[in-house]
Amino acid sequence: MFIARKKAIRYVMAIFIIFSLNFAIPRAMPGDPVMNLLGEDVIVSESSVAEMRTKMGLDEPLYIQYLKYWSDIFHLDLGYSYHLHSEVSKVLFTKMKWTLLLVVPTIILGAVIGTPLGALAGWRRKDSNEKIMTMSFLFVYCTPPYFLSILFIYLFSFKIGWFPLKGFYTTGTPGDIVYHLFLPVTVMTLFAASRNYMIMRGSVIQEMQMLYATYARAKGLFGREILFRHIFKNASLPIITLVALDFGFIFSGALFVEIVFSMNGMGNLIYDAILARDYPVLQGSFLLITVMVVLANLLADILYGLLDPRVRWQG
Amino acid sequence: MKNIWSVWIFLLFLLSLILSTGALGADDADGMTLRIGTPNLVKSPSLVGDYYMGIFAHLSNPPLMRVAEDGTLEGQTAEMYEVSDDGKTWKFYIDDDLYWSDGTKVTPDDVKFTIEYYTANSVIGWLEDLLEEVSVTDDNAVVIELSEPYATLNQEFVTYNILPKHVWEDIDDPKEYTNKGEYVGCGPFYIKGTALEAGVLYFEKNPHWKGTQPNIDSVEVHMYSNMDVLSIALKRGDVDAYYKYGRGYPYANVRALEEDTFDFVVTDYTGLTFLGMNIRKEPLSDVSFREAISYAVDYDEIERIVALGYGGAANRGFVPRSMAYFKETEQLEYDSSNAKENLDDAGYVDSDGDGLREDLNGDDMELVLLIRSDDMDYQRIAELLKEYLGNVGIDVEIRMVERSTWFDLKDEYNYDMTVTGTTPWGMWMWANWGTGYFDSRRTGRGVLHTIDDPEFHALCDDIMSTTDEGQLEEYAHDVQDYYAENLPGIALYWGQYVTPYNDDWTGWSSDPIFGIYRLDTFLNVVKA
Repeated sequence: MFIARKKAIRYVMAIFIIFSLNFAIPRAMPGDPVMNLLGEDVIVSESSVAEMRTKMGLDEPLYIQYLKYWSDIFHLDLGYSYHLHSEVSKVLFTKMKWTLLLVVPTIILGAVIGTPLGALAGWRRKDSNEKIMTMSFLFVYCTPPYFLSILFIYLFSFKIGWFPLKGFYTTGTPGDIVYHLFLPVTVMTLFAASRNYMIMRGSVIQEMQMLYATYARAKGLFGREILFRHIFKNASLPIITLVALDFGFIFSGALFVEIVFSMNGMGNLIYDAILARDYPVLQGSFLLITVMVVLANLLADILYGLLDPRVRWQG
Repeated sequence: MKNIWSVWIFLLFLLSLILSTGALGADDADGMTLRIGTPNLVKSPSLVGDYYMGIFAHLSNPPLMRVAEDGTLEGQTAEMYEVSDDGKTWKFYIDDDLYWSDGTKVTPDDVKFTIEYYTANSVIGWLEDLLEEVSVTDDNAVVIELSEPYATLNQEFVTYNILPKHVWEDIDDPKEYTNKGEYVGCGPFYIKGTALEAGVLYFEKNPHWKGTQPNIDSVEVHMYSNMDVLSIALKRGDVDAYYKYGRGYPYANVRALEEDTFDFVVTDYTGLTFLGMNIRKEPLSDVSFREAISYAVDYDEIERIVALGYGGAANRGFVPRSMAYFKETEQLEYDSSNAKENLDDAGYVDSDGDGLREDLNGDDMELVLLIRSDDMDYQRIAELLKEYLGNVGIDVEIRMVERSTWFDLKDEYNYDMTVTGTTPWGMWMWANWGTGYFDSRRTGRGVLHTIDDPEFHALCDDIMSTTDEGQLEEYAHDVQDYYAENLPGIALYWGQYVTPYNDDWTGWSSDPIFGIYRLDTFLNVVKA
């Protein structure tokens, strides 16, 4: 009970500090949100700029803005974006829907494909087939996401002509959406899978050296049984952390793919908000990511406890 | 082994299912559609509040005036206009044959409403102090009375889209109003919808359009956030033409399209890339120093490397040939010996023999060349400039920052030189001929506002207060002479607007401000 209370306090403190940083970091960046509202070839008087600044609440002293920021959070009000002409909560909700469609399959497929293949590669690391597979995953792992996305578009959309070049949909039917998502999801899955593969492979190699693996063989278990009944569970602990973090950054992790495939998701939203110094959108997005990361960590803590009795016993 | 085959068969089945359902969805377009591909991204479906949506809406809600192919002004929603000698009273005669897409007739009341509505809601904020009255007359005209002369009002009305009063009068703040569906328009096409997740802006033919009937039924503006993919889309035939406001197709990508079935609209570009000088700070405040810099730059090489032959060396008068009342000032010349002599004569010498010149106080001098990271051309030019200035003994530090930081630093005058550009419209704004970029009395995102000189301010005021064409020409020449003499900015080259289109289509036209995105294009294009 004491430990649970200690953890709860830790999470609350983390949320408080991160929320405060969410307020401070956008304002610490050079650049004026008001100027960013204007077009490049627009000239205005100083009085118009001052009027816009007042309208956006940026003329108030910082501590007033900070207090208002907390007050808005407690009222579940994420503010208004003058760049996007909409309430931030509405913008986030719209973008989140699409980003979830892009990222959730990626995380699941990346874990489902990368983890067992990585475990097998670690277990049979001297096998030539596994060596080729490891090299292939290493190649993907080292390739810049932008390059791989462009390469896939060039090959599968331009040369072979199988897939569309942009957007989440053309007509909006479920089949059409899946058709548009197939290529970006494939690219992102390859990245997620290759990372999980490399981590799992290393983790299995490490676990194989432990005495319990030798004991399992001594008691007469076959290779794959040792791997999947004993080693896999212990070796997958780092993967849990990674997948939890993936869920934490679910709304921001697809920027390159969103840019290449011209998808209006959360990645592009945050990127544009940074360029435009759109404080409310930045604050709202970071707040959402913070909550997701904290929840994901909490979930990882619980899963760790379930998988590893040592964590459970130590609390 | 059997299992592996089952998995492969299942995956192939899944892929074919996806491809077939996707292909079914993609093939349902009706009638003839012109598809324009653009990197100009609409961020929110706000006709008044979104910068690029406002530009694309020139097709659906045409402004009062427009730019002709030769760069002169002519009427659009207003058939013609008159202006009083004192430049305070403007009368715009509205085209009597215009109808909104919902069947209502376009009246001068719509125009009056639009001007008053925009002024009250800070869309035309600068008009607030000037506007005395807007009235409607029996001869289908709108009269605008100003408290002070504003000789370029007709020019300003090239950009403001006309709105239907009966639709917008109930909307409190036009800038914050968004709508993913239809916007009532009076152009040959109206906005049918905006699908930001699909990256498309849809226009349908206005059923009540009485003018020349277009040969196409609809227009789609497809937005791409990646230029490489947009080039692929052009080659694949997903889009029929390219459009980017204020910039043509990247010169480096043109050759790849030349081998394919593409033709190009090439127009002299009114915007330009220039070296802006911070004339408020030493040593750039010294005109002799600026003069020396102008001789140190190899303009031909910059034009060759950056514009790839689509341009030419500029004049000292800054303003490009495509603008009205262009004056042939002296051409900018590369002469590093002359640059060195000028620097020696002005007292910027290398007294410690380290190969770099010192300032007038004898201190080491390192000039900050500020550039934005979002433009590769600026980065290439900055590297070349560093080399050219190094050749004459001037040490340069290239400071590359992202867009917002650039706005901040240039507004704080925290730089020595900057490589930046003007848009075509930007060259027209304020008192025309690029004055909006230099006049210190105005601010804005892309403008340098460096000139405090009362002579320059008076010149701008004179331009804005005369409607006499002869007088205007004289002032325009004075502005170009001022630039040539004082060099607040050096045009690095005058470029061309290159717009590729699929050669199945004919009938394109282009103007120096908005390129191919003009009514004539949409009324005349036809697919062979």
